[in-house]
Amino acid sequence: MAPLQVWLVSVLQRDTFISAFMQTTWGWPAMESLHFIGLALLLGPIAAFDLRLLGVAPAIPIAALHRLVPFGIAGFVLSVITGAMFLMTEPDQYIYNPSFHLKMVFLAVAGGNAFLFYLLPGRHLRSDATVRTPRIAKVIAFVSLTLWLSIMVSGRLITFYRPGLCEPEGPGFIADCIPRR
Amino acid sequence: MDPVFAWIESTAFSIWMREDLSMFAFPGVLAVHTVGLALVVGFNIVLDLRLLGVGRDVPLIELRRFLPVMWLGFALNAASGVALLVAYPTKALTDPVFYVKLAFIAAAVWILVIIRRSVLEPWSPRRRTSRQLAMLAGASLVCWAGAITAGRLLAYTFRRLTVDF
Repeated sequence: MAPLQVWLVSVLQRDTFISAFMQTTWGWPAMESLHFIGLALLLGPIAAFDLRLLGVAPAIPIAALHRLVPFGIAGFVLSVITGAMFLMTEPDQYIYNPSFHLKMVFLAVAGGNAFLFYLLPGRHLRSDATVRTPRIAKVIAFVSLTLWLSIMVSGRLITFYRPGLCEPEGPGFIADCIPRR
Repeated sequence: MDPVFAWIESTAFSIWMREDLSMFAFPGVLAVHTVGLALVVGFNIVLDLRLLGVGRDVPLIELRRFLPVMWLGFALNAASGVALLVAYPTKALTDPVFYVKLAFIAAAVWILVIIRRSVLEPWSPRRRTSRQLAMLAGASLVCWAGAITAGRLLAYTFRRLTVDF
């Protein structure tokens, strides 16, 4: 993994108008604010939908609540765009950061989990309001809720796991420190 | 106010929050504050979107079932917010942006209470037009976005970190 990480950093570490903007006085703080607004916009509709699948507010038709999900996806896109801007400005602070690694693993699993929902019980759940929520959908909803909150926690903790320079013997399999040149 | 700040910063809890290297001290409290933010603002966004016309088939009054989760998030953030304030009272209380954040939160909660009384309680039939509710929802979104932005900016706008630094 470590050589791949070094390569990733070298690809991301380019001076672009994005990194120039991020280095202005209010560029980074403004994008952080948008990142957090995106996170709230993502979690609201997704958590409401997950809680509904878990049995909260059973009188709300699942299909009706699903109309809010595109707004959650819009929040996700907002956070991904601003997140990419952080990454393109200070790549080594993320690519070698164990909390960021964990966040990306959680994100990948959350993506697979959402995919699973639409693959298995999602289709008829969204069209038929009267159907009983199958157990598998409840498991997926619980996993989704847990993962999204974990993504937020591991994201907030990134700043406390800032990587330092590696020891002379170099990084391990996964670099959690900045390799020496 | 300096003597008050100095006293707060000398308490064992404040010192633990600032100096303990454990992830359960300052970082953990900050993480809890983020989870609470997501629950509080997330639920409010759901309610506001519905009032703005998204998902019209969602029975408005049923959204009250999510209120306990929202208030759980609010309690998490009140508690973690106080802990962060005790850790760095000078930093927050000498920064005008902190009061802007509190004002946004107060306004947003006030709007939520108005909305709740109008549409989320079975014993209080809708007393406002959908246009009025949509305007309240818009104001709510602005206030929560303002609270988040002001909160995030606190890391950049402070003039003093602690009483003697």
